[in-house]
Parts: sequence; C-alpha cells; structure tokens
Amino acid sequence: MSRESRISVRFAGIMRATRAAPGKLDEVKRANHHPGKDAAGDGVTRRPSGNGSARRRASVRTEGATLMSPFRLLAAAVVAAGLAPSAAIAADTIKIGFPIPLSGPTAVYGKPVLAGAEMAVAEINAKGGVLGRKLEILSRDSKANADEAVRLSRELIIKNSVDFLVGTLTSAEAPAVSTVAKENKIVFIAPTSKSTILTDEKHIHPYIFRVSSNTDVEGLAGATLMAKWKDVKTVATIAPDYAYGRDSISAFIAALKKQRPDIQIVDQQWPKLGEPDFTAFITAQMSKNPDAVYCSLFAGDFVTFSKEATPRGYFKAIKNRLVDGAEVGTPDEAEALGNDYPYGIIADSYDPVLWSGSEPAAHKTFIEDLKKFTHDKYASGWSIVGYQSIYALAAGITKANSTKSDAVAKALPGLTWDTPVGSRTFSEKSHETFAPEYWGEMVKEAAYPFAVIKDPQLLPTSFPATN
Amino acid sequence: MSSSFLFNQFMGGLTTAMFLFLIASGLSLVFGVMRVINFAHGSFYMIGAYLAWQVVDWVHPTGGEFWIAAIGAALGVGLLGAVTERVFFRTLYGREELYQLLFTYALVLILGDAAKFLWGVGQLSVSTPPVLSGSVTMFGTTQPLYTLFIIAIGPAIAFALWLGLNRTGTGRMVRAAQMDREMLAALGANVSIIYTGMFALSAFLAGLSGALVTPIQSIVPGMDVLIIVQAFIVVVIGGMGSLWGTFWGSVIYGQVLSFGILILPGFSLFSVFALMAVILIVRPWGLFGRPL
Amino acid sequence: MNATVAAPAPPSRAAAAAPAEYRTVASRIPWVLIVFVIMATVPWVGTRYDTFLAGQIVIDALFAVSLNLLLGTTGLVSFGHVAYFGVGAYVCGILMKTYELPFIVAFPAAGLGAALFALISGYFCVRLIKLYFAMLTLAFSQIVWAVAYKWNDVTGGDQGLPEIPYPDLDWMSAIPGCADLSDGARFYLLSLVLVAVSLAVVHRIVRSPFGRVLTTVRDNPDRAAFLGVNVRLYQLAAFVIAGGLAGLAGALYGIFSRGVFTDYVFWSKSAEILIMTILGGAGFFWGPPVGAAVLVWLNQIVTDYTQYWSFVLGAILLVLLFGFPGGIVGGIVMLWRRLKRLRNA
Repeated sequence: MSRESRISVRFAGIMRATRAAPGKLDEVKRANHHPGKDAAGDGVTRRPSGNGSARRRASVRTEGATLMSPFRLLAAAVVAAGLAPSAAIAADTIKIGFPIPLSGPTAVYGKPVLAGAEMAVAEINAKGGVLGRKLEILSRDSKANADEAVRLSRELIIKNSVDFLVGTLTSAEAPAVSTVAKENKIVFIAPTSKSTILTDEKHIHPYIFRVSSNTDVEGLAGATLMAKWKDVKTVATIAPDYAYGRDSISAFIAALKKQRPDIQIVDQQWPKLGEPDFTAFITAQMSKNPDAVYCSLFAGDFVTFSKEATPRGYFKAIKNRLVDGAEVGTPDEAEALGNDYPYGIIADSYDPVLWSGSEPAAHKTFIEDLKKFTHDKYASGWSIVGYQSIYALAAGITKANSTKSDAVAKALPGLTWDTPVGSRTFSEKSHETFAPEYWGEMVKEAAYPFAVIKDPQLLPTSFPATN
Repeated sequence: MSSSFLFNQFMGGLTTAMFLFLIASGLSLVFGVMRVINFAHGSFYMIGAYLAWQVVDWVHPTGGEFWIAAIGAALGVGLLGAVTERVFFRTLYGREELYQLLFTYALVLILGDAAKFLWGVGQLSVSTPPVLSGSVTMFGTTQPLYTLFIIAIGPAIAFALWLGLNRTGTGRMVRAAQMDREMLAALGANVSIIYTGMFALSAFLAGLSGALVTPIQSIVPGMDVLIIVQAFIVVVIGGMGSLWGTFWGSVIYGQVLSFGILILPGFSLFSVFALMAVILIVRPWGLFGRPL
Repeated sequence: MNATVAAPAPPSRAAAAAPAEYRTVASRIPWVLIVFVIMATVPWVGTRYDTFLAGQIVIDALFAVSLNLLLGTTGLVSFGHVAYFGVGAYVCGILMKTYELPFIVAFPAAGLGAALFALISGYFCVRLIKLYFAMLTLAFSQIVWAVAYKWNDVTGGDQGLPEIPYPDLDWMSAIPGCADLSDGARFYLLSLVLVAVSLAVVHRIVRSPFGRVLTTVRDNPDRAAFLGVNVRLYQLAAFVIAGGLAGLAGALYGIFSRGVFTDYVFWSKSAEILIMTILGGAGFFWGPPVGAAVLVWLNQIVTDYTQYWSFVLGAILLVLLFGFPGGIVGGIVMLWRRLKRLRNA
C-alpha cells in the first residue's frame, strides 16, 4: 500500500475511532447491564435514550472531513454539537434525577437506597402513576463526591430535563446539590443526608427537603444511650472529617453535656472519608484509655476500621461500649462485615430486622416485596429511605396537582405521608422530618448470618424541633 | 504519652512502611533499569488485590487458600507486566520519555476500568489467614500477628532482592544495565530480556503487595490512584533506583504519617507532600540515590 | 531527544508564517474569527445544554493552551499544572463568595494569585531536570490539594465552596439581543470573550521574540545557554505566564460549575489536560483547543452509552501514542501536506 493511502487509511481510522460504532458500544452496554454484577437487581432504565442524536451528530461531523483544516474541524464540531438535538425525549414520564454513590466504599449504602426508590417507582407505576403519568428514575453514580454530584445534577437538569431531584447519600454531596436545586428551582429531596447544614437558616430554600433525621436528632439518641452507662467517665470520638462527621460529634457532645456533665471528652480522631488505613488513629485513640467511644464512621470506612481495630484489642479495651449513629446496624453493613462484626456495640438503623413488639403489617409486606424486587435473601435496611422519598414526592405532586417544581415546593412543607414504618411529616420551617431511628445492641442471632439489633428502640422518644 | 503508646505508633508506622516498601521496590527497580516512572504500578497493585480476592473466591476454603491466592495473584500480575512490556512498551523505548509516561498513564485508565468491569464497583474484602489471625502482647500493646508478619516480610524481601542484585550473575547484569545500558548492549548482553524480566519482577512485587494488603484494607476502585502517589513519595525520598533508599524512604514515610497524626493532626496529609517537595528541592536524587 | 531529531521547523505557527506556497485561499479566510462568531451564536442557536458544553470547551481550551505554553513551546513537562488552575478557582471563588467582591476584582486577582504561586513553585521547579521537574510539579500540586482539603474554614474542605455567585452581568442587557439571555448564557459569552482575548495574548507571546527564545530553549537548552540565554529565567517566565493563565481558566471554571471543589486540584485533572493537549497536538498553537473540543464532546457521547469513560480515554491515548503522536491537528496537517504534494506533483 502506498504511503499516501496508508495515511488516509489511518486517518479514516481515527475518524472511525471517534464515531459511535454501534456494534462495539452495544457490547459494552450489554456488558454494563450484566445481571450477575447487579446486586440491586433492578430493571429500570439507568441511562437516558440519547442514542439516536449521538449517532446523527457523529455522522454530521465526519462528512467531508478529509480536506479540513483544524479550524474548520472545530467549527464543524461546535455547529454539529449545537444543531443536533441533545436531550432525551422520553414519552411523557415524570423524570426524577437520582445521583447517588454506586461505587466505592459508600456504595454499600447507596445501591440499596436506589433500589428502594426504584421499587417505589415500580409500585406507583403499576397503580397508574401520578396524575396519570408514570415516574422514571435517571440514576447516576456520584461516587460520594460533592464535585461529581454537582456536575451530574446539572447535567441531569440541563441535558435530561429532569423534573425533580432525589438522592445523594452523604452530607458532602447533598448541600452542594441543594445549591444546584436552588439555582435551577428544582425540588430536591435528600433521603439520607443528616448534617444540619442542609436545612439550617442560612441554607434553607423552598426546594430542599430532607427525609432522614438530622445530626441533632442522632446526637440526642446517641447521648441518651451513652448516658445510661453510669460507670463511664471518659469518652472518645472518632468520625470522618467532613460535615456529617463534624456535626454529628458536636451534636452528640452538646446533648451529652446536658445529660451527663461529669463525662469528659478525652480524645477526638478525624480520619478522612474513605481513609484506607485507620491504624494510626486507632492506636492514638487507645492510648488515651477512654471508657467509651462515640463513632460516626459508616459504610466501607466502618468495615475497614473494625477489621483493623479488632485485632488490636480496641473493642476489648472499651468493653464494646461503642455507640455508632451512622446506621451501621443495618443488614447491609452487618453483611459486609460478616463474622468480623464487633458484636456488643450499639448501633442504629432506619429499618430493623428484629422487632420488639409487633411489626406493622405494612412493614411486613414492604420487606417481602423488597426481597422479591432485589432478589436478595435478606432485606436491606437502607432501601426504606429511598422508598419513602419517592412516596413523599408522589404525595407532593398529588397534593399540588402539578409536576412543576414550584407548585410541589409549596405543597411539600407540612405534608404528611404514609410509610411502612409510620407516617412522616415535613416540617414547615426546615422541610425535614426529625425522624427517629431504631437503636440497640448488636448481637448474634441464630436465624441470621449477620449481626442484628436486639430489642430495637425508636429513639429519641421526643425531639424538640429546634430548627 | 506512655512508652507503650509510642511503641504502638512506631509499629503502626513500620507496618505502613513495609507495605509501601513492597510496592515501591518494584517502582524503584523499573526506574533504575529503564529510567521510566511507571504510573501503572498502582494499577498492578490493585489488580493483585482483586486477583487475590478472586482466587480466594474460587478455591475451596481450606485454611491455606490465602497463601495460594497471594502467590497466584503475584504471578498473575507478573505475567501481565511481562506481556505489557513485550507487546507495548518495547515500541516506545526510542521515543521521548513523555510518551512512555503517558503510556503508563493510559494503562492506569484502562486497567482501572477493566477492574471495575470484572469485579464490580463495590468494596471487597478478604479475611486474614487463620494461622495469622491472632495477636501478641508486646510492651503493653496488642500487636496483630498479621502486621508482625508484614513487618518481617519487608526486610526479607529487601534482603532477597539485595542478594539477587549483588550476588548473582543476572543481578550483576541488571546493575550494569542501571549504570550504562548502551554499553551493556554493546557488550552483547541481551538487554531486552533484562528489561522484560525487571518489569515482570516489579509487577510481581506490586501484585504480591496488593494481595497481602487485602486482610487489612478493603479492595475498592480507586485504590490504584491513592497508592501510586504514596509510592512516588517514598521513591523520591529514598532515591529512585536505589533499593535501600526505597527501604529507608518507606520507613521514614511510615513514621512521619504515624507520628504526624499526633503532632499536627490536620497536617499529616500536607506533611508528606511537603516532605517530597523539600527533598526534591534540596537533594533531588533522594537520600540514597545517585544524580541522574 | 525532542522533536528536532528529523523533522523540519516545527509547524507550530499557522499558515501566515509559512512560505508563500502555503498561502492558499484557505489561509486567507479568517478561520479564527469564523469560529469565534459561531461560538458566540450558540446561546441563541443551540439549547441550554449546548451552551453548557460550549462553556466547558472554552474554559478547557484556555487551560490546555496554558499548559501547552509549557509543554509544546518551552518543552517543560508538568504534571502539576492543575495546581494553578485550582489556586485561581479558589481565589476567585473565595473572593466572590466569602468576601463578596465583584468579578472584575476577583478575576484578575485569581490570575495574579496563580501567577504568584507559579513564581514561587516555578523557582524551585525549573532548577531541576526533566523527571525531577515533573515530580516536583506533582508534589506542589498535591500540596495545594492537601491544603484545600484540610483548610475547612477557608476552602470548605471536602464540602468545597458551592454556590459561587454569577458576576453581575446586568450591564449586558444593554447589548442588543442579550436582554433575555439567562445568567448562564451571559456568563458564557463573557467567558468566550475573556478566553478569546487570553488566547490572542498567548498567540502574541508565542510569535514574539520571547516565544522564539522559548522554542530554542525547548529544542536545545545547552545550545541556548551557550548563546547567552538565561535558560532558567525564560523557563520561569513561561511557567509564571502559564500559571497565571491557568488561574484565569480556573476562576472561570469555578463560576461556570457553580462551585469550587477539592477534586479540581487532584492530579488526575492534570493528566486529563495533558491528554487533551496531546490529543489536539502539542506542536501546534490550535492543537489544545481542538483537543479540548473533541474530548469534551467525546466525553458527552461516550458517557451516554457506558460508564467506562476512563477505558475509552486510555484507549484514545494509546491510539495517539502509537499512531498519531502529532495529535489531531498534527494528523490533519500531515494529510494536508501529503495531498498538497500529490496535487503539486
């Protein structure tokens, strides 16, 4: 082959490389949706249908490309990008953008939240949808990263024209996405972010709503339980160094001081979120010999922490008197740790496995449905918040009789809606529910291959809404 | 601050150090011989961790499966390294260093997504092998047996490498390649085999350290990116291409991290990078290295 | 070692500097002006999303061009260029959000702050050779990252600084046709103008005698030193200018993204820009902007289909390294030349 034709072949090659080749990408797409890798077992759309436009865009770009100078190329690219329709135009569904961590250490919580939301959507759609229209979730992996969550939310709003935003897991992401929601006037419901910064006076706006409890509520519950140990005189804390960690610890300390002014805080450790190695923090804390520990580590961090702390005798030294308010009592966390779980600690969950007293019938149905939906043997403790959030949104849309965010934003404050664990109400002033959670000691139960909460108590029993 | 606490922090620092040494030794070796910084070294480490998990998943739990997994993972990654070098790297030798660096970065991107594709995006973990899952009381502290094992294996591997480099014929050739490769090739030695071998060995070490870290840390996507910067710091401090430099560089790094938490808690992250910058400014070839 | 080995004078200047035989009709048309006009019409012609993409392209183009001043023109391979981008983003963000200063103060301040940091770090960096230079730039960039991560009170730490306000763009209503543009679209137009001006400045610099000295330093630092050129000083100057420009890009990016986060300063972003520059063609002035456009556009398409964007990026990089070291622009120029030769033969 002559040099010239070799070069043109090569050039054609680069053009091919930049065009959306259907075959290869379909393969990747199929591989992407491999059922075996998908624990959540959802069948709901995860990607918007932008296929047609992309292909059209690519072919506009490659026509007559051979004699172009760089400038023409740039102009063509821009024009093509500009003229090709870019947003997905799905049939008349109510689109809910759902950025949530689906990879990394926090995915163990993020995935079930999404699964719960998807189940709620499936249930609502089966009954005919809301205001006669079906709901659709567009989920994205935010990697528990504020930057990523903001970028994805903006894309969901600008590119996919979502009507509402639900999601984010951590309190790093939610406040950032809240600003995007405020600027674009889109209702944003955060299922799990607990930091008070999300809805305090400085940051509240008409479009932000929170389903989970907040750090003040959590801190009060944790402090109440800690206060019960009369022989504890010194307490240490360890929490991830970001908004949630900082807020939960300060709320805990404030509540503890009120109940047990005699307790001294002797040590505070602040590993970063996603820390791969807690050893130095563990040994530093042990050297201060606290009687008990309040811990806000969660998800993958708690797994790593426990696995490193146990062989060093950390839990033994405090006689297992560790209280963790970051939902490490959920089956998801317990399963992740398996037999390495530090039995005897006190933890909480949005949704307990055992019930002290009788389990509400609605909850029994919910658990059975969830197990079927996710093809999991044991139901997650996190799915319920995703589930609750979707139902809250549906209730808001119904009450407002509109899918416009402005109307729904007016309908949601003060709205009460039903959930499998009781009804919830968004407060008028701060758009949150101050929901209590289930707390108790983590024990080994014969019927379950993972740690469960013994005699879960709904705490705090009462919460003065200070926000 | 009791002495047992200081001892504890010291041991913690040593553990971190030995892990890093295992990883960084490969990086340093490759640099010494081939004069290229392999960004993908962290990816080899990550693949080693995932492979170890995979082998443990396949092999019937008998109690010894962890060791099989560790060796298997190391060999697997070593093979991956050899193939990469033969097929791709070779063609870049005559080119600018920038291209070689970018190639290793392309590997990082590709291997990272390959791992996500094969093993998913969640967090995986491996249990400590039963024979090492106990702990020992030393100087008033509880030391897990596994960390003692790691602290012992670091110097053992360092010594083995030193033996290999200084007491064998092949080792002599490798050291010659480090000093002057053109001359070595002119003398008739098969330099390309040395290159492939060194690359494979460094990948083997990276894979081994990845496998050995699994009982202590979780296997997550992104662990390749996190570790490579730390490996760079160690190699810079100790001196690129120097085995003992890497060893002592890791020890220093480990202790700075470990005690940095106490002295300046907010600054441990900052201090290691500052240390790297200072070394580069004051003595770029590191404590034990040679000027390039 | 570098590009001088076999090739003739690097084709880094556009057609106007080439000998007369290249002065075709094509080179007389003001391509740059046409592209600028096309890009300026995006808010009216395209959707909100297109404006979003175009904004990203424009800012990345400036960032990549600033890197190319180091890489292509001066031959300095920096892995830490994102440090200056980050410094600029944080300075502008902090000034506008925390201190509520107007854009017209914050923007130049960001550039100056980044240039100052480039001066300090560059002073140490340029004294080192190749690999150590790259490592030290990486170290400084990670230092910036570590500071941004931990200095919660000022930088917001892991939370970052969300809600950076738009600059006050009401004066734009006076311009015909701009009255009913959204804030985002107005800011896009402002960025386009600022970036165009900056690019023009860089173009000037590259073509000036100063720029010639830089390429001399790139091609053979020893020979340049023998000629009496203070190599270090010129490299430092390039470093500072590149840093300042990156800071300006960072400032724009912070406002564009409605927030400044620590991820902007992580070293993987340096790698992304490096790839963008090389994809477009490091030997050409317009290479980086083309690379920026292509990469942003590709990213949008690929992420529609698959989550494995890194893999695709790595594959593109491999193709570039093994097949098209001159990047897109390099490939096109090469083809153009072949075709010209065919035609003239």
